[in-house]
Amino acid sequence: MNGTAAVARYTLLELSRRRVLLVFFLVGSLGIVGLGVGLRILYSLFESNPNGGFNPVTNQFVELQFVSLIRSALGTFGLLIAYGIGMTAIYHDLDSGAATSIFSKPVSRFAFSVGKILAGVAALVVIVGLLAVEARLVMLLFGGGYEDAITEEVLATVANTLVVMLIVLALSTWMNNIVAAVVAFVYYNVITGVMTLLHSFVNSNLIENGVARAVIDVAYWLFPHPLTSSIPAALVRAQVQAGGQSGQSSGPAAAVLQGSGPGDIAWWAFVMVFFAAVVYYSVRRRQV
Amino acid sequence: MAVVSVKDLRKRYRAGDPWAVDGVTFELEAGEAFGLLGPNGAGKTSVVKMIAGLIHPDVGSISLFGSHPGNPAARAQLGFAPEDPDFPKFLRASEILDYFASLLGLDEAERKRRIPETLAFAGLDAERRQIRQFSKGMKQRLGIAQAILGRPKLLILDEPTADLDPLGRRDVRALIERLKQSGVAILLNSHLLSEVELVCDTVAIMGKGRVLKEGTMEEVVPEGRNLEDVFVELFQAASPKRDQLPSFIDEGQSR
Ligand SMILES: Nc1ncnc2c1ncn2[C@@H]1O[C@H](COP(=O)(O)OP(=O)(O)O)[C@@H](O)[C@H]1O
Ligand SMILES: [Mg+2]
Repeated sequence: MNGTAAVARYTLLELSRRRVLLVFFLVGSLGIVGLGVGLRILYSLFESNPNGGFNPVTNQFVELQFVSLIRSALGTFGLLIAYGIGMTAIYHDLDSGAATSIFSKPVSRFAFSVGKILAGVAALVVIVGLLAVEARLVMLLFGGGYEDAITEEVLATVANTLVVMLIVLALSTWMNNIVAAVVAFVYYNVITGVMTLLHSFVNSNLIENGVARAVIDVAYWLFPHPLTSSIPAALVRAQVQAGGQSGQSSGPAAAVLQGSGPGDIAWWAFVMVFFAAVVYYSVRRRQV
Repeated sequence: MAVVSVKDLRKRYRAGDPWAVDGVTFELEAGEAFGLLGPNGAGKTSVVKMIAGLIHPDVGSISLFGSHPGNPAARAQLGFAPEDPDFPKFLRASEILDYFASLLGLDEAERKRRIPETLAFAGLDAERRQIRQFSKGMKQRLGIAQAILGRPKLLILDEPTADLDPLGRRDVRALIERLKQSGVAILLNSHLLSEVELVCDTVAIMGKGRVLKEGTMEEVVPEGRNLEDVFVELFQAASPKRDQLPSFIDEGQSR
């Protein structure tokens, strides 16, 4: 498409000059290294404690703790970066009047929207990907065994932050970008959080009322919801094991926190396409 | 065939608002310089934005090089210098021009040739800062530069000299003359009447969305008068209180 590459290229150049994204990235990467090294030191202290003694479960447990912390660090910084990109990539052009010069050029609004979305996606994947590679390297400090889990976690995080970025991008073409961020935040972090939790209750038969189950099921599939990896479930299992209980009793708790299945992933893809279409629709309608 | 022709154009921004543009019709031929005049809020900017495909008319039709302004191909030969231009603020002037040259479909060799010359014309060749550090006048220069980059057949200039220094104004005047001679059609929005008088062949004077007077410069401006006289006469009747100053202006000299 004529112009898509130019729009994407110069949007990326702009994003690379935005100090706020650089700060999020630096704080995020320092945080991950700090977490890893700190936990490793704690772990060494624990290991050298004559009373505690060494056992393979604790090793695993510490690594899982690390994975869990990394998970929230990646998720948090991924989200911050998603907001940073979503709030500015299109909004600045529309708000400043730059769009007036751009849209009078022989470029279609479709090509413009595609270029903007591609740039946002590329920037987000690269930044979160770098943080993830760093996390993976830091994991070499530990025994290992959860590499696959972190890969899965990174994919889930990237997937979720992409949805958030697109939602903010789409909303920012309709409203002020700060309002857009607040709406997206409330929607994605509060409403979907409650829905995902309720849905997991349904899955694990904690809610037995048939009507309630149906309503929750429908709501869950009606709205975008975050993908989850199997890490939370593994963490619960490991915690239960470390607590010395039988493996049997971890069953229900782990089931509550099971990872996303193919259905969720297909739904995610649909949500991405849907919000990309919303971006195009509002850019097309936009009078500048 | 006319470069651009608009017929009975109407536009309002919100239902219930008065018409910002209320039935405007005109045509522009190659090599013609057309001045669209009128007081602030007359609807000049709305007219040119519709021609550039930036906003949609509610009523009426526009033919831009025989096509619809919403069609990107129709805009390939359009140069548009917006009123109060702005650009992606973390880019530099040369990057903006490279960006826009790509949108215009200019190849590498052509970009290498045109961009430095265009920057030099705009007096921005030595400027290394990003747009966010530009003054209004610098942005206006860049706005004109990006409009001529594609060597358009129709150049729309919306208040192009509002923020320019006298030298910049003279450059724009020379630019318009040269382009006109080479067959480019010019649509100039301005309320700097002496300037319009110098460069335009035909004018239309707008007020409240309507064309109140139009024709060649000779038709609109009688012998021995100038454009300003015509303009003031036209609008003074409509707003007789325009000369009244706020009453407090003459108060409190002693304090
Ligand atoms: N984006 C907008 N939203 C609402 N009203 C607008 C907008 N742009 C212009 N108008 C209104 O349309 C009328 C014509 O404005 P404009 O075309 O900018 O006039 P001019 O360029 O002659 O000064 C004015 O009354 C103005 O208030
Ligand atoms: Mg105007």
